[in-house]
Amino acid sequence: MGLQPYLILAACLFAIGLFGVLTRRNAIGILLGIELMLNAVNINLVAFARYAADPAGLIFTLFTISITVAEVALGLAIVILIFRVRLTVEADHLDLLKG
Amino acid sequence: MTLEAAGFWGLAPVLLASSLAVVLSKNLFHSVLYLALALVATAGVFLLLQAEFLAAVQVLLYAGGVITIVVFAIVVTERLVGERLAQTNRGVINGGLISLAVLIWIVVFIAGAQLPRTAPPPPGDLTQAIGRDLLTRFVLPFELLAVLFLAGLLGALFFARKEE
Amino acid sequence: MINAGTLALAALGLPFGSFVLLAVIPPLRRAGRAAGALSIAATGGSLLASLILWRGLPGQPVELQWSWLPAESGPMASVGVLVDPLAAKMLVLVALVSFLVQLYSLGYLEQETAPALGRYFAYHSLFAFSMIGLVLASNFLQMFIFWELVGLCSYLLIGFWYDKPEAARAAVKAFWVTKAGDLGFIIGIVLLWGQAGTFNFIELFAMASGKTLPAAGLGLIMFLIYLGAVGKSAQFPLHVWLPDAMEGPTPVSALIHAATMVAAGVYLVSRVYPLFLLTPDVLALIAWVGAFTALLAATLGLVQADIKRVLAYSTVSQLGYMMAALGAGAAAAGFFHLLTHGLFKALLFLGAGAVIHAVGTNDIWQMGRLGRAMPQTAIVFLVGTLALAGIWPLAGFFSKDAVLAGVWEGGLTVPFLMLAVTVFLTAFYMFRVVFVVFFGSGHAEGHPHDAPLVMTVPLWILAILTVGAGIRLAVGGDEGAHSPGWVPWLSSALAVAGIAGAWLTYQRGTVSADALVRAFRPLYFAAVKKFWLDDLYGAIYRGVFLGVSWGVGWVDRYLVDGVVNLASAWTLRWGDRLRQIQTGRAQDYLYGVALGLLLVIVWSYWR
Repeated sequence: MGLQPYLILAACLFAIGLFGVLTRRNAIGILLGIELMLNAVNINLVAFARYAADPAGLIFTLFTISITVAEVALGLAIVILIFRVRLTVEADHLDLLKG
Repeated sequence: MTLEAAGFWGLAPVLLASSLAVVLSKNLFHSVLYLALALVATAGVFLLLQAEFLAAVQVLLYAGGVITIVVFAIVVTERLVGERLAQTNRGVINGGLISLAVLIWIVVFIAGAQLPRTAPPPPGDLTQAIGRDLLTRFVLPFELLAVLFLAGLLGALFFARKEE
Repeated sequence: MINAGTLALAALGLPFGSFVLLAVIPPLRRAGRAAGALSIAATGGSLLASLILWRGLPGQPVELQWSWLPAESGPMASVGVLVDPLAAKMLVLVALVSFLVQLYSLGYLEQETAPALGRYFAYHSLFAFSMIGLVLASNFLQMFIFWELVGLCSYLLIGFWYDKPEAARAAVKAFWVTKAGDLGFIIGIVLLWGQAGTFNFIELFAMASGKTLPAAGLGLIMFLIYLGAVGKSAQFPLHVWLPDAMEGPTPVSALIHAATMVAAGVYLVSRVYPLFLLTPDVLALIAWVGAFTALLAATLGLVQADIKRVLAYSTVSQLGYMMAALGAGAAAAGFFHLLTHGLFKALLFLGAGAVIHAVGTNDIWQMGRLGRAMPQTAIVFLVGTLALAGIWPLAGFFSKDAVLAGVWEGGLTVPFLMLAVTVFLTAFYMFRVVFVVFFGSGHAEGHPHDAPLVMTVPLWILAILTVGAGIRLAVGGDEGAHSPGWVPWLSSALAVAGIAGAWLTYQRGTVSADALVRAFRPLYFAAVKKFWLDDLYGAIYRGVFLGVSWGVGWVDRYLVDGVVNLASAWTLRWGDRLRQIQTGRAQDYLYGVALGLLLVIVWSYWR
C-alpha cells in the first residue's frame, strides 16, 4: 500500500473542510470546517512521517493537535463573546470591517 | 489485500461520509457528533500508519476535549438565543466549485509526483522516539508551545471575565 | 576750525543716535516729553554742526569715502559724505526746520499720550537722520537708500494717527504713489551704473565734463531718475498723494510735506545737474511739467476749504516753480526758491497748525476774525503769505523773480506765461485764506487764543528769517539772477492784483464768490473734482489691478483648484469603488485565500 491513497484521502478531507468554511453561515460551523482541514493536514503529516521513517512528522502532528485545541478553545470563547455583544453568531452579520 | 489496505478502504468512506455530514448537516449538534466520528476515524487512520500514540492523543484531545468544548459552546449560545441553532450553507455553488478546483489540482499534483509505493519497516518504538525528540531536537518549539498555551489561557480568562 | 567731514558726520550721526536710543530703550521712548527733549537736543546739535559747516565751508567739495560692496575690480559701491555749497545750504535748511518743527511739536502734540509722543519723536529723529543722509549722500546708491528712508518716515508720520482710517489710507497712498516714481529712479540708477560703472557723483560729474560718459541711452536714464523726483516732489501726474498726506499731524506736514522731503526731488535734480545738462530734452520736459504742475495745483488750491489742503496745493505749485526753473537752466534760481520756500512754507504750515490747534478744525469756513484773537499767529501767517505771494522785500519775492527770469531767459514762453498766471492765482488763493480765516465775517467756535510759547517761538524765528533773508537780499542782492528789468514789476503787479481780487471777493464782498464760481463753472467743477485724476487712478487701479487679480483668482480657483479637485474627486471615486471589495465578511476573504492557494498550486505545477 503506497503513500498516494493517504494523500488523496487527506486532500478530499481538506476540500470538504474548505467547503464547510466557505459556505457555513454559523460561526461554530466554520470552526468545525477548520477542524476538518487541520485533520487533513495531520493525516498528511503522519503519512509522510511513516513513509519517510522520521518521527519529526509525528511531533509536528502533536504540535498541530495541541495548537488546534487551544485555537478551538479561544475561537469558541470569541464566538460566545460576539454572541453576547451582538446577539448573533451568523458570520454574515459580523461585518464590522465592511468598507 | 493486506490488513492495512482493508482497514484503509474501510475507514476512508466513513471518514469522508462523516466529514460531508459535518459540513452539510442542518443541525449543528449533529454536525458536532459527525465531527467526533470523523476524528475517531482519523485516529483509526493514524493506527493504520502505526502512530498509536498519536491515535490516542487524537481520541483523547479531540474527541474528548474539542468536542466537549464545542458542545458547551452550542449549549451556551442556544440557551442565550433561546432556540435551536439551525445552520444552513450559502454560496454552495461557489464554495463547491472552489473546493473542487482545489481538490482537483491537489490530486493532479499528487498524481504527477514520485511517491513511495511501499512503506519502510517501522523504526522501532515510535512513542519512545517521539518522547526523546520532543525534549531534544524540538525542545525549543515545545517550550514556545507552552508560552502559546499561557497566552491562550490568559485570552480565555480575558474573554470570560464579567463586563464591568 | 573743526574738520568739515567730522562736522558733516556729526550732523548725520546725532539724529541717528537719538533714533537708536529711542528705538532700543522703550522706557525712554514711553517717557514722551523726555524722548522729545532728546530728539530736539540731537537735532539742535545737528543744526549747530551744519551752521558751523556752512559758515566755514572750504572752496573745494569735501568728500569722505568708505568702500562698501567689495568686488573683484575694486569696491562696487561706497558710502560717504559729500559737502559742497549746495549740500551745506540744504543741510542748514533741513536741520533748522527739523529743529523748529520738533520744538513746535512739543506744544502741538501736548495732548498725545506719552508713548505716542515718544514714537512721534523717534520717527522724527529717524527722519532727520535720513534727510540729512540724503543731502550729504556722495553717490546715487546711498542717496537712494536715504531716499527710501525718508519715504518710510513720511509713511510712518502721515499714518501717525493710524487708528484714523483716512490717515492710514493717505499714508498708504503716499507710499505707493511715490514708490511708482522710485521704481523709475532705481532703474535709472542701475542703468547709469551700467553705462558709467560708478555711482559716485564726483566721478560722474568728471565724466560728464570730460565728455567720457557714453551718450547712448542717457536721455532715458535721466528721465527715469527724474521720475523719482516726480514722485517725491509731487509733480504732475504723481502729485495726488501730497494733499492727502495732510491727514498727518500739522508739524509733520510742515517739515516733510512742505520744507524738506518733497523738496528732495528738486534737490536731486540740482545735485546731479551736470548730468541733466547733457540731456536738454529731459530738461525741457522738466520745465514744462513743472510749469503745468504749478498752474494745475494753483487752480486746485482755489477751491479747497481745508486750510492745510490749500497749503498742500500751494506746495505742489511752488515745487512746480522750482522744477520749471531747473528745467529752464536756472538751477541756482530753482534751488534758491527751494530754500526760501522751505522757510516760509514751514512758517505757513506751523501758523496753520497754531490756528487748527486753537480752533479744532481744518475748515476755513468755520474760522473767522481770528486776527484779533490770535494776533501773533496772524502776523506771522501774513508774513508767510506775503512771502509766498512774492511781495517785496520778503524772501519769496527774490526767489520767485529769479525763477521767472530764469524761465524767460530759457526761452520757454508758454511755461513762463503759465507761471505768471500762477503768481496771480497764488496771491489770490493765499489771501482768500488769510481774509477768511483772520479777518472774515465768520465766527469760530470757542475762545481761540495764541499758542503757547513753545509753538510761537519757532513761528517767530521762521518769520524773522523770512523777513531777514529778504531784507538782506534787498540790500545785498547777490543771489538773484540778473533778470530783465520788467520781470519784478510784472510779478509784483500780478501778486498785488491777486491780493486785491481776494480782498474784493472775500473781505469787501464787492465781487460775489458765487458769481466767480458761475463765471468759471466748468473749471470750478473740474477743480473740485481734482481734475478727475484721483478718480482716474482709482479707475486704473480697479480696472487693471483688480482685473488682473480677478483673473489670477479665477485661474487659481478654477484651474489650479480644478486640477486638485479633479484629482481628489477621482481618488475619492475610485476609492469608493475599491471599497466595495471589502465586504467585512470573513468568508469572502477566505475565498481570496482559496483562490490564492489555487494559484500557488497551479503555478508550482506548471513551473
